[in-house]
Amino acid sequence: MPGYTFKRLATGLVSLLVLVTVTFFLVRLIPGSPFQNGGVSGRVVEAVEEEYGLNEALFDQYLTYMGNLVQGDLGVSYQEPGTTVAEIIGRTWPVTVSLGLIALLVAVVLGTGLGILRAVSKRRIVREGIAAGGMLLAGIPNFAAAILLLFVFSVKLGWFPSAGLLTPAHYVLPVLSLALYPTAVISRLMGNTLAVEMGKQYVLFARAKGLGRGRIIFTHALKNAWIPVLNYVGPASAFLLTGSFVVESIYTIPGLGREFVSSITNRDYTLILGLTVFMGTVVIAVNLATDLICAWMDPGMRRSYSDK
Amino acid sequence: MRRKRFTALVLAAAVFCMTAMSGCAQGQGDKEAKKEITVAINSETGTLDPAGSIALTYLAYSVSALDELLTYDENGEIEYRAAESYEVNEDSALWTFHLREDALWSDGTPVTAADFLNTIRRALDPASGSGYAVYLFPIKNAEAIYNGEMSMDSLGVETPDDHTLIFRLEEPCVYFLDLLRLPVYTPSCEKYADSVDSGWDKNPQTSLSNGPFALEEYVPDQYFVLKKNEAYWNKDAVKLDRITYRFFDDTQAMAAAYETGEVDVATSLPSTVMELYRGKDDLLVTDQIATRYIYFNLNVKPFDDVRVREAFNLAIDREELCRIVGADTEPSYNLVAKYMTDKNTGERFVDGADQPFEENVERARELLAEAGYPNGEGFPALTYKYPTLEMDSDTAQVIKEQLKKNLNIDIELKAQELQANYSSRYAGDFDLCRMNWTADFADPYTYLSMLLSNSTYNCSGIQDAEYDAIVEASGREQDPGVRSDLLHQAEQRAVGEQFYIIPLYAMKSVNLVSPEITGLRQVPASGALEYRYADIG
Repeated sequence: MPGYTFKRLATGLVSLLVLVTVTFFLVRLIPGSPFQNGGVSGRVVEAVEEEYGLNEALFDQYLTYMGNLVQGDLGVSYQEPGTTVAEIIGRTWPVTVSLGLIALLVAVVLGTGLGILRAVSKRRIVREGIAAGGMLLAGIPNFAAAILLLFVFSVKLGWFPSAGLLTPAHYVLPVLSLALYPTAVISRLMGNTLAVEMGKQYVLFARAKGLGRGRIIFTHALKNAWIPVLNYVGPASAFLLTGSFVVESIYTIPGLGREFVSSITNRDYTLILGLTVFMGTVVIAVNLATDLICAWMDPGMRRSYSDK
Repeated sequence: MRRKRFTALVLAAAVFCMTAMSGCAQGQGDKEAKKEITVAINSETGTLDPAGSIALTYLAYSVSALDELLTYDENGEIEYRAAESYEVNEDSALWTFHLREDALWSDGTPVTAADFLNTIRRALDPASGSGYAVYLFPIKNAEAIYNGEMSMDSLGVETPDDHTLIFRLEEPCVYFLDLLRLPVYTPSCEKYADSVDSGWDKNPQTSLSNGPFALEEYVPDQYFVLKKNEAYWNKDAVKLDRITYRFFDDTQAMAAAYETGEVDVATSLPSTVMELYRGKDDLLVTDQIATRYIYFNLNVKPFDDVRVREAFNLAIDREELCRIVGADTEPSYNLVAKYMTDKNTGERFVDGADQPFEENVERARELLAEAGYPNGEGFPALTYKYPTLEMDSDTAQVIKEQLKKNLNIDIELKAQELQANYSSRYAGDFDLCRMNWTADFADPYTYLSMLLSNSTYNCSGIQDAEYDAIVEASGREQDPGVRSDLLHQAEQRAVGEQFYIIPLYAMKSVNLVSPEITGLRQVPASGALEYRYADIG
């Protein structure tokens, strides 16, 4: 395990380095300048770019950036002079995380519950209803769901506010928009694998032993059925924790996703890079954690790792 | 055991949802007791420092929080704000302003001439990133200082005492008073406003204001709150206690927030809102002092030929274009914004002269034939670059269709992300490029000066000494009537004779305003809404 963990960490670091490098140069390939907008004259743009060292050779700028990055310095935002990129991340990430964690919780609880129901219910209408509902929800992209929920529950019915994250009520619609798709996927994964597990011999044996249905599901079958779900939940949570661009924009939520979109629109180079580094780190770390947890849960997998 | 845990989780989720539901009963405060309004504005960009890199946030903030020296009201009359009088010498090159002695910053410190100079000096440092620094260049030596060629001591601004501010200009400038509403001419308190990146501007303790409202709270990405400035010299005229500005990324989300009552005012909404709210008191349609037009690249053949440029202008049916693009547009045949007022007459400036040209498809075909492209034959494949905004995309489709139908010319369409489009335009990397200009100040000069040979906004490669001479003369001309003639003459030459641009339309701004709010005004220069003297009920 330590060897495997080390190898995975090293791969993670290399991926991060590649990510930063590629992003650095890609961002500069986009036409435009952080200091240009419709009304600013070219003369001013040039003077300001010079002031910020943006007229130096690109590779030198890259070296400077990497040098600072190694020391943990992500630089200052061009759009908000005086504010460091780290401060912006520090202010937006908690928002995104609180939203993402709640959505994840809702998705895991609801998805697992519905999946179990789908696999073991004796009523055909329940099984097929959940299957069909899951299919439908998995097919609705989250921006469509977000707009639909906003329109119905906020504009028409007036049950929930439409913008910001000021009170708990503000969380309901964005959480639902974020949770719908993972809920559908988890319930399908759970339903399918649990149904397969329930047909296996150890379940038959447990039943022959006289164990109750609930006991069989919750103590035996569920543990095995969880592995594919966990494999999905890992990467999915990385997505939820780095923020949804669309949902954050629609509900005007001051999180990472919205900041990322506006940083690109504004060509705020340091902010784009800082957010990329941060999100990259989160995604890589969450994937690593998922792999390690899966390995820990499945002795077979654990063995195959230590063989390598 | 496990089942219990599962039940507990479900219960926890249920409890969470209940609290969430109950939360929505709150939020709607008692607006009558305290007069407060919430205004939805476009997403946060830029600083609140008048010397810094300014965008929407500052513009929203400053109309409520800062007093410029003086401004013009909707009738073109001077409204004194931080100044109480001014003098100008004979040739309009030396301007002296006498500041109000009773004017105080929101912490009680007197407003002095040095506070005005503070903004100007800081803006003349390129590191500040002020896009408006160019508007300081009429001041003696300002441009040289900006370029690092002269020292700050040589700047033509003097403050002989705390309440006198003198501007010495490079050359006469009759529209100088119009410039005074620009951020770089607004004061920033010397005590705190030291640099654009020290963060003074968003900290309520140090972000002082000399106008009707002062910053109370600033929450990045979410909102900022202005409260009534009790130290304001004219505070009796201010009725509201508080204005909250909330940031929105999306105009649909803004309209939804208005619908749910989360905001009392939503501005710059899509034109579809006009249909939804037709006949209701909430709908407020205002004029934008802006023109949408197309730049030709004169360095690209055959746009060097005036006949081709004229043919394009005559072949476009602007009435049809506006019908398709949206009810918030109106055809325009001028460079100067259709809704801009001529201060001398009180009428719209563009109505002070004949329309520069008339659309005429027959004539357009003849001109194209004369230029060597009968029925569009042999016309090169040229590209129209425009930003991916809905309005511009619709416009591009219509123009392509009309040019094909009327002149048998195929133009290629290339939609670009907004910033990319700006870049192409500034680099002159286009055949035809979409342009939009909102007036910086309430004088036609803001438009006409863009086409000067040495203007940085002249992206078309126009080199017209005769035009330059007329426009520059208008900057010096003392007699308002003669000056007005010069401006009209310049516009006629650029738009009606040389056809340097293709004017398309003027725009309306679609706003939703709670019918309870009274006393809203419009800033004459830009058309933006102003809440200084607003009231509830």
